[in-house]
Amino acid sequence: MIRKYGVLMGLAILLSACQPSPSFMISTSPIPTHEADLYMEVLIEAAVIFVIITGALIWTLIRYRRKHGDTSLPRQIYGRASWFIIPVLLIVGVDGFDFVLMVKTMQNVRAPAAAASDLNLQIVGHRWWWEFDYPDLGIATANELHVPVGTTVQISLKSVDVIHSFWVPQLSGKTDVIPGQNNTMWLKADQVGEFLGQCAEFCGTEHALMRFKVIVESQEDFDKWVANQQKPAYQPQTEDEKAGYAEVTSACAACHSITPGEMNTDLVGPNLTHLFSRSTFAGGTFDLNEENLGKWLADTQAMKPGNDMEIKILPDKRKQIISYLLNLK
Amino acid sequence: MTAQAQGISHKKELGSSGLLSWLMTVDHKRIGILYIISAFVFFLFGGTEALLMRLQLAQPNNTFLTPDLYNQIFTMHGTTMIFLVVMPLSAGFGNYIVPIMIGARDMAFPKLNALSYWTFLFGSVFMYSSFLFGGAPNDGWFSYAPLTEKVFSPTHGMDFWIVGILMLGFATTIGSINFIVTIIQLRAPGMTLTKMPVFVWTTFVTSFLAVFSLPSLTTAVLLLLFDRQLGAHFYNVAEGGSALLWQHLFWFFGHPEVYILILPAMGIVSTVVPVFSSKPLLGYPAVVLSSVSIGFLAFVVWAHHMFATGMPETALLFFAADTFLISAPTGVLFFSWLGTMWNSKLRFDTPMLFSLGFVALFLIGGLDGIHLAVVPVDWQLTDSYYVIGHIHYVLFGGAIFGLFSGIYYWFEKITGRSLSEAIGKWHFWFMFIGMNMVFMPMHFLGLAGMPRRIYTYGTGRGWEIWNFIETIGALIIAVSILIFVVNFFVSIFKPATNKEDPWDATTLEWTTSSPPPNYNFAEIPTVRSRRPLWDQKHPDLADWKMDT
Repeated sequence: MIRKYGVLMGLAILLSACQPSPSFMISTSPIPTHEADLYMEVLIEAAVIFVIITGALIWTLIRYRRKHGDTSLPRQIYGRASWFIIPVLLIVGVDGFDFVLMVKTMQNVRAPAAAASDLNLQIVGHRWWWEFDYPDLGIATANELHVPVGTTVQISLKSVDVIHSFWVPQLSGKTDVIPGQNNTMWLKADQVGEFLGQCAEFCGTEHALMRFKVIVESQEDFDKWVANQQKPAYQPQTEDEKAGYAEVTSACAACHSITPGEMNTDLVGPNLTHLFSRSTFAGGTFDLNEENLGKWLADTQAMKPGNDMEIKILPDKRKQIISYLLNLK
Repeated sequence: MTAQAQGISHKKELGSSGLLSWLMTVDHKRIGILYIISAFVFFLFGGTEALLMRLQLAQPNNTFLTPDLYNQIFTMHGTTMIFLVVMPLSAGFGNYIVPIMIGARDMAFPKLNALSYWTFLFGSVFMYSSFLFGGAPNDGWFSYAPLTEKVFSPTHGMDFWIVGILMLGFATTIGSINFIVTIIQLRAPGMTLTKMPVFVWTTFVTSFLAVFSLPSLTTAVLLLLFDRQLGAHFYNVAEGGSALLWQHLFWFFGHPEVYILILPAMGIVSTVVPVFSSKPLLGYPAVVLSSVSIGFLAFVVWAHHMFATGMPETALLFFAADTFLISAPTGVLFFSWLGTMWNSKLRFDTPMLFSLGFVALFLIGGLDGIHLAVVPVDWQLTDSYYVIGHIHYVLFGGAIFGLFSGIYYWFEKITGRSLSEAIGKWHFWFMFIGMNMVFMPMHFLGLAGMPRRIYTYGTGRGWEIWNFIETIGALIIAVSILIFVVNFFVSIFKPATNKEDPWDATTLEWTTSSPPPNYNFAEIPTVRSRRPLWDQKHPDLADWKMDT
């Protein structure tokens, strides 16, 4: 009930820019819904307190301002500590109320026990891109996470360098991705669509360009996607493609794999087996197309300064590599 | 002076006037002024950094600043405002005002006091010099490990930060010990602890907080220095170190730090509000007790900065509950301020406006803080712009408004001249409006999913409009600060008025001349109540005759 009004209000604020924001207030999935409910409950309580106190303040300021020329003294009231007992009890009461609401919400968003029907995911934070591994399905991909609608997703989080934080506001709150510590989280999407996410813990130069999206699709579409991802990489046909392939499997292989499902935790760059099944690259930043990829390979540092791929590839070789990569669908 | 009066000629002593006298001074008032001026200069630095950030974020995909420069600037903005502005500004008022308020002639250890100031200044300048030596620190004011390890932050910026923090911590620690000893030892006859002005109380509590929390920061940065320069592995996970160790050590300092920043401002507001209400502070014992309990609670809430780190549920509940409890003593302060103004005869001079601004804005900063204390909501809002909105309502709307209230209130005492009331009001309203334009939309951005510390953002997320409004607000704040600077220079070049008690105040600093002689009081006053000057002005209604 509260939530309905809250959502209206939240929407009024958030959509005033006429664009849907990646906001937990605009979601129907279970975790953000509970979190938004709690947000609204606390907001209403805070608004009531705000109105009472500012109301009292403004009334006091108007009612008791000194009239011009009045030099008389107001009555000196010292007050006793005991006068504060009731206000303090009231505040502690409100605190207790908040605590109960909070515990209720925490129970509602607690990870469900693992079940056979769950999708298990391993998410690895790299500077500055996201690796998404499906250990049970033999899939490793990057920056675009596919999950089936209505399925509980159990996630284990890993970092290979510094602390990151995994956040898709419309599907779940943040969980930090901490090196040397296996944090877990879960989510469940109840609606097909694309949801934006972004690293939420400052992780260095390109923290701002460590974005990703979650693509929630029907079980059927998801199965199709899985089947495609499990296929081996495209075999080169033309001369250009062959030359490109040779490059991709030699020089590029220091950081990138084109073996499906090869989880490249120890490598620096994303698995490229089905690169062109994705719509963005370089931390979900740029649209993936021939032109952008060309610019990227020409000078990676110009597009995303500071990233670990310090490479400038000459035009001829670039053309060959791209001609091969374009087929990695 | 005595020598001249007696007609004896002396050679001028080295350092008795001119620049040298400021460099060599051990007078608490001069050291206070040095603190205040240095802090204000750094306030202009930190403010400029804020403006640069706002210009970069005014539009999506902006390229006004490079990522690396943006990261240095936000790191230095936070570090500057916290360590080089709010802390030294509070220390400046503490230095100047506290000894006079308690009827003393100086701090307990005047030379230590000078050491404290010069260490602070040297540490600050040292940290800023990093811009000239390969880049400023760039890992944020709380510098999470392992990002700060040499492999991830190879420039010397972090080393400058570490050594700078060590120097600033040293300065604050000896300064705080000096305050504690001064307040315990040098109070005027009759000024028992329960008759001590409330600003003295908050400085006292702040000093204890600093002395007990800084060792944790010192430890944290020393371990980091060992890691970076001596090849140790305290935060290096690959070699068995811990990434979270830094966060525990840092926030064990970092949360008390928030109260180190806000308590002196609360003390100023609790001083100003009663004066401009012509009433005593309502429920003084409750206010003092609250300040002290805020001090204690400050040490048991540090992990509320770490709710998303995967803590066990029991720990989450413990730290959330502790955090809720802070609302009780804070609430007491609000009741006291409101109750003091109730049934009074209010004057709205500029110091009072800034104190009222504090009350209104700090209230918002307290209420939006509840959202960050309830764990599941915090999982959404932590590290988002919501937090930036919250801390600025607390530290800009709170600490900075409180400190400006202090500047307007004590200006005549310190300089013998008053700041212009007319210009002061322009300053207040520009700052108040600009402040809300910058920091209120940050809440909306946090709700709309914008993380903090990003140097740019894409289109299509609904973030553009709020970011643009914020940048306009930041420019309005900048104008307000310019207005203040104009006010300062206009006033400082006016002939001195030397009003002893311009605000009809009640505490001891207003019983001596403006500015006070270097010995403060010809005769040490004897105190019979919390408002010695009130007693003097209203012998029939003297506080000590009442049952307080």
